[in-house]
Amino acid sequence: MKLSEMRADTCGEVKSLKGDERFLSRITSIGLNEGASFQVVKNDRKMPVLIFVRETLLALNRQDSENIEVMEVKA
Amino acid sequence: MNTIALLGQPNSGKSTIFNQLTGSRQHVGNWPGKTVEKKDGSFTYNNTKYTLVDLPGSYGLSGNSDEELITEKFIKGGEADLVCVLVDASQLERSMYMLADFASMDVPAILILNMMDVAGDQGKEINDRLLSERLGIPVLTFTAAEGKEYGKLRELIEQELKTPHRLVTAPVIDAGTNDTGVSAGKMLAEGQAKYAWISSLLEGVTNTKQTKYKLSKFDTLMVRPVLGKVVTVGIILVGFLAAMLIMSPFMGVAGMLPGLLGAPIANFLTGLNVHPWLVSVFSLIIPNTIYFCISMAAFVFGVNVVFGFLEEIGFLARAAYQFDGALSKLGLQGKAVAPILMGMGCTIGGASGTRVMDSWGQKMLTMMVVWAVPCASIWSIIPVISGMFFPIWGTLLVCVGIIAYIFVLMFLVSKVFGKSLIPEDAKAGMIMELPPYHKPHWRYIIKEAWIKCFDMFKRALKTVTLVSVIFWAFSYSPTGNVESSLLYKVGTTIEPVTRFFGLGWQTFMAFISAAFAKEAVLGTLNAVFAGQSDVASVAFNASAGGVDTMALSAYMTSAISGAEALAFMFACTFSVPCLMALSTTYKESHSLKWTLKTAGFYVAAALLLSCIVYHIAALFIG
Repeated sequence: MKLSEMRADTCGEVKSLKGDERFLSRITSIGLNEGASFQVVKNDRKMPVLIFVRETLLALNRQDSENIEVMEVKA
Repeated sequence: MNTIALLGQPNSGKSTIFNQLTGSRQHVGNWPGKTVEKKDGSFTYNNTKYTLVDLPGSYGLSGNSDEELITEKFIKGGEADLVCVLVDASQLERSMYMLADFASMDVPAILILNMMDVAGDQGKEINDRLLSERLGIPVLTFTAAEGKEYGKLRELIEQELKTPHRLVTAPVIDAGTNDTGVSAGKMLAEGQAKYAWISSLLEGVTNTKQTKYKLSKFDTLMVRPVLGKVVTVGIILVGFLAAMLIMSPFMGVAGMLPGLLGAPIANFLTGLNVHPWLVSVFSLIIPNTIYFCISMAAFVFGVNVVFGFLEEIGFLARAAYQFDGALSKLGLQGKAVAPILMGMGCTIGGASGTRVMDSWGQKMLTMMVVWAVPCASIWSIIPVISGMFFPIWGTLLVCVGIIAYIFVLMFLVSKVFGKSLIPEDAKAGMIMELPPYHKPHWRYIIKEAWIKCFDMFKRALKTVTLVSVIFWAFSYSPTGNVESSLLYKVGTTIEPVTRFFGLGWQTFMAFISAAFAKEAVLGTLNAVFAGQSDVASVAFNASAGGVDTMALSAYMTSAISGAEALAFMFACTFSVPCLMALSTTYKESHSLKWTLKTAGFYVAAALLLSCIVYHIAALFIG
């Protein structure tokens, strides 16, 4: 599923990233590479997705988060 | 040469270190041939002069933007004798990515673990010695906002320039990397290798475990879609009240200058038998210019202290989260919210606040959007003028109309300029960290605000003096009657044209003065409508707060229609915000072309708006 579809307070792992090189390099450098595990902190309609990854609370543009394929992981 | 480069992700404290080390010995320009800002400065330690370069670029060095390419070329070209790589100690694993990107370049380096105070608050321990041993370069634990920390940084820099160290380890990446672009697959593989390298380095260095994150009570409120926005705007409004409190003593003292200095200067010069014409120039213009510049600088100071504080504690990042969705409709991203909100207080502050934007295109577009936000000065004029012509409910309607038009204008700006400033392939959505709330470092906030305010004051003295003299010459009337001034002659000559836009010669002159300073509008109106007295002295004395609005109201209501007044208010509000906003836009964008484009667009759009408002309003209110 897409990151944008995950519910708040669930945990996940990045399966794959889609997009141009600029996006891939940005998203990787901020800590979301393939295999990175994260927690969805808040995910409201029309708002950026708030995730906690590598000790960082990140706000991610909603459109961008649709390019991140994830898998839910039971905490 | 002793050239030191600073390298780090946004929020790593790079600009804090740069500003603290160099103070006011900074030079800001553009990298040759690029619209990327180049910041360098210098400092002296033990009688040796060091040059410090703040390297542009955001998150890595993968050559995906002008900023990253410039940074890579600078380091690879060996232009820096020492590179200080900055990482955030409170988010060590993630921010070490910059070091992983840097590791392939074989140059002398040190690693600065910044934000040790935040890491400490979170109970994180870092074995910096072990990390240093593994890396082969010195590792300095640091808190950038603490002035007392800089002694050890300077000492380390001095020492490392004598006996440099280079990284002894680098991520193992499959061979065959070429410099010109890499495929997506390879980029992803490189990312994996870099994080693997970071993990192996940090093994046993930190005690962090990935724990579940829980939003603080306040954040639970701050991230709510509707309530969060209300709270954000509420806090900003309280912030502006605080800014007013900070600046009012300065303005109060400065406000006494014209009264205190005017007469003594006049008496002194008259005593020296100076021509009365010059006496009037010096006794009128100089004290008023100083007063004006001080009050403007105080404004900039107040706004910057408040927003510096909100930034420092982590509040502005939440505001960016809240408004990312709305701003992406304008082609901007959430980070633009801070400069836009600052613009509600002062456009100058808003324009310089666009430094937080990721790229030049984003920054320029944000500045153009900030211009559309009426500053606090405008709100002190509109009710006065509106009140002369309309009842209270009418004035309320005018204010609502102005607020509604802000959004229209922002939309127009983004439609007209968005595509050329941020082309489709350079679009980047917001990826932003929300730092934990932390205590503000007041000394740092005040120092930063002071640097900005003093810089503004210096520029203002020059430009405002020049413009005052020009204005004075235009409005000088040898007979004391407005009809013998140059202003009147020019104004009435072009009146047939300005009439088309709904502005008579008086309101058109006030419209022009509004582009210099909103504070001058009432004074100019008073001067051109009152007519009989000396235009220059009326305009200047009025800018010091002495407009008799009752008398002005009588003059204006008998001279112009309600429709013209309405058109004038709109034109005045949405024209060039002020001379210093123009100057700041140039200073921040380093582009004369785009500064002029912005000014040209705003003047044209304001006149067009005035024309539309006038002709529609004339149908209803005559």
